[in-house]
Amino acid sequence: MKKNLKKLMALGLVVVMGATMLAGCGSKDSGSSDDGGSSDKKTKLTFSMWSETQMPAMQAMIDAYEKENPNVEIELQSSSYKEYWTKIEASATGGTAPDVMWVNVLHIDSYTDAGILAELDDAIADGGLELEGNFPPALIDAYIRDGKQYAIPKDFDTNALFYNKEIFDKAGVAYPTDDWTMEDLNNCCQELLDKGLDENVYPFACPVDFQTWYYQTVYANGGYIINEDKTETGYDLKETQEGIQCWIDMIDKGYAPTLADITDTSADARFESGHLAMVLAGSYMVEEYLANDAIAGKIDCVEVPSMNGKEPNCINGLGYAVYANSKNLEEAQKFAVWCGGEEAMKIQGEAGFVFSARNDAQHYFADAHPELNIAAYTNHVEDAVALPVCMNAAELYDLEANELKYAYDGSKTLEEVCKTLKEEGDALLK
Amino acid sequence: MAEKKQQVKVPKKKASRREKKDWVAGYLFIAPVTLGLLVFYIFPFIQNFWFSFNNVNKFNMATFCGLENYSKMIVDTELYQTLWNTLKYVVITVPVGLFLSILLAALLNSEIKGKSFYRTIYFLPSVTMSVAVSLIWKWIYNGEYGILNAILKVFGLEGQNWLSNQSTAFYCVMIVGIWCSVGYNMIILLAGMQGISKSLYEAAAIDGAGPKDQFFHVTMPMLTPTIFFVMITSIIGGFQVFDTIYMMIGKTSMAYESCQTMIAMFYRYGFEFGKKGYAAAISIFVFLIIMVVTAFQMWGQKKWVNYD
Repeated sequence: MKKNLKKLMALGLVVVMGATMLAGCGSKDSGSSDDGGSSDKKTKLTFSMWSETQMPAMQAMIDAYEKENPNVEIELQSSSYKEYWTKIEASATGGTAPDVMWVNVLHIDSYTDAGILAELDDAIADGGLELEGNFPPALIDAYIRDGKQYAIPKDFDTNALFYNKEIFDKAGVAYPTDDWTMEDLNNCCQELLDKGLDENVYPFACPVDFQTWYYQTVYANGGYIINEDKTETGYDLKETQEGIQCWIDMIDKGYAPTLADITDTSADARFESGHLAMVLAGSYMVEEYLANDAIAGKIDCVEVPSMNGKEPNCINGLGYAVYANSKNLEEAQKFAVWCGGEEAMKIQGEAGFVFSARNDAQHYFADAHPELNIAAYTNHVEDAVALPVCMNAAELYDLEANELKYAYDGSKTLEEVCKTLKEEGDALLK
Repeated sequence: MAEKKQQVKVPKKKASRREKKDWVAGYLFIAPVTLGLLVFYIFPFIQNFWFSFNNVNKFNMATFCGLENYSKMIVDTELYQTLWNTLKYVVITVPVGLFLSILLAALLNSEIKGKSFYRTIYFLPSVTMSVAVSLIWKWIYNGEYGILNAILKVFGLEGQNWLSNQSTAFYCVMIVGIWCSVGYNMIILLAGMQGISKSLYEAAAIDGAGPKDQFFHVTMPMLTPTIFFVMITSIIGGFQVFDTIYMMIGKTSMAYESCQTMIAMFYRYGFEFGKKGYAAAISIFVFLIIMVVTAFQMWGQKKWVNYD
């Protein structure tokens, strides 16, 4: 009898545990499986992003949206950048990816190719969102594949030249200005060296960095990395090579640390510890620089120096995309489109971490940082080139860094390196 | 011979009810681990094997491509470069690591002061996150601000960028690998040493063997099963080395190619380039190599491992 009782209890426990597990799964299912049509039940959406710092802004947007649309309930999920893609890819494999998600241009090709993202053109028209004229053209194009819009531009980043006033004051050299050319940059480096800098302090840095350094000058100089049809690379062009060589020359002249030194200690680490007079930096670095007590209050920024009369800049950013197999596709699209609207962009902009993609909301980022010449980032945003991407972008960047280091190190000429890059890069585009 | 045959011929008794009940209990006991093994190891292994014959994108969408991945892999010079690097890593770190582990274990097995203190500090690297370890060592090797160069400077020697120099970077990484694994191996060897019967040493002492003879003629032979275990696990670990190198050697290091291991190559194709099929083929290749090497060791152990 006693034994049987024990057995019964054990069985009971098993049933209870099993039931709770099932219930756990079930409630999740019912949330996303209802069609959003029933009036008494709320439509539940999941919204996934990767930045801890931007969570409050996103939550504020959700709150505002839920107020206007009481039938919708949105759950915000956040993870680290690296985990984010693994999670999305795993959940998309299982058919349960978040309804609305952040994407960037680096992933747009492979995601649209696999049919993970829903096209948004109809939803954009229904939502009355005018992309053209309201967003920088490079940002709209960045999310168009086969003529269809796959994401609403969320924010963007461009580059500027940051400088450390303390180092300039100590050397008695005039600060950089917005109208600088590449020649001015070189002359200033020479002047800083001539006037004498402290030990381990360099005027400038030239890491093997595509987005913040050489892509800008490659395109400003009339070269390109990937052609428009994405069938060929442009490493063999003289213009492309000149756009890279100008940075290598600065290392050779001693204006910037050698490749080995910059590999050991990054440009950002040097600038943030006050060991670098000038550095190029994306707008996403602004918060980090300002939060660093060693340099905060001593820094400012100007435009990237012009080259051949052109204003080099590289624009990149992210967008709101919708999962193609979302169970509430319509509601998800509606929310994504709303995120591109004036109200949402204002909420995001006022939080101050990024440039909102909408033209009329760009100024919020500058407003949040009156101590810096933030306009340097946006003065020529119309001319900025989008980060060149393709299906094998990650592999191409890897190849590029791998080969270019021989040119930066001086063990091969840039011409030799570019010959290899052209051959192997073209093979990746096939 | 005759005896053995008789044993085989013993008729099997039918299992009684009680015995059957025991079996059920037994299976229930191993079920959690077995299920875990099936779900997290056996199934992924089979899936990985299947993937190696497919083109697989980021979303695990597979399209069959036969032996394409393998035929591509066999002519990929990168594979042989990484294989060579990995072999070099194993051939150097395993013997050196083993030698140091035995030496440390022997020293800590003797009567010295502060024994448990030393045991703790030598074991510490094993419980420290490898990412943290790598970052610290990266600073030690730093060309401009590293402590290694600072020490060399005191002696009037010229430092360098240790992790960018093709002739030093890989050895620097190996040192970290050895430093990380010595403590763990030492503990296992120490346990092996303490399992050796005291009477053997007493007998050896009576026969006039000094500490040196005792070590080579009592400790070492009795320790061979433990050494064998440590060797097998270190060699497998060596073939799978990845994290310290990934953390320490940047993409723009001039020594990048000469430091890339097979698992690093697998990682890049699988997780950075989104070519999971090709990555699967690489991992199968690594698996085969480890299997052959381990089988060879299992066969070779008869010649030197002492199980008496």
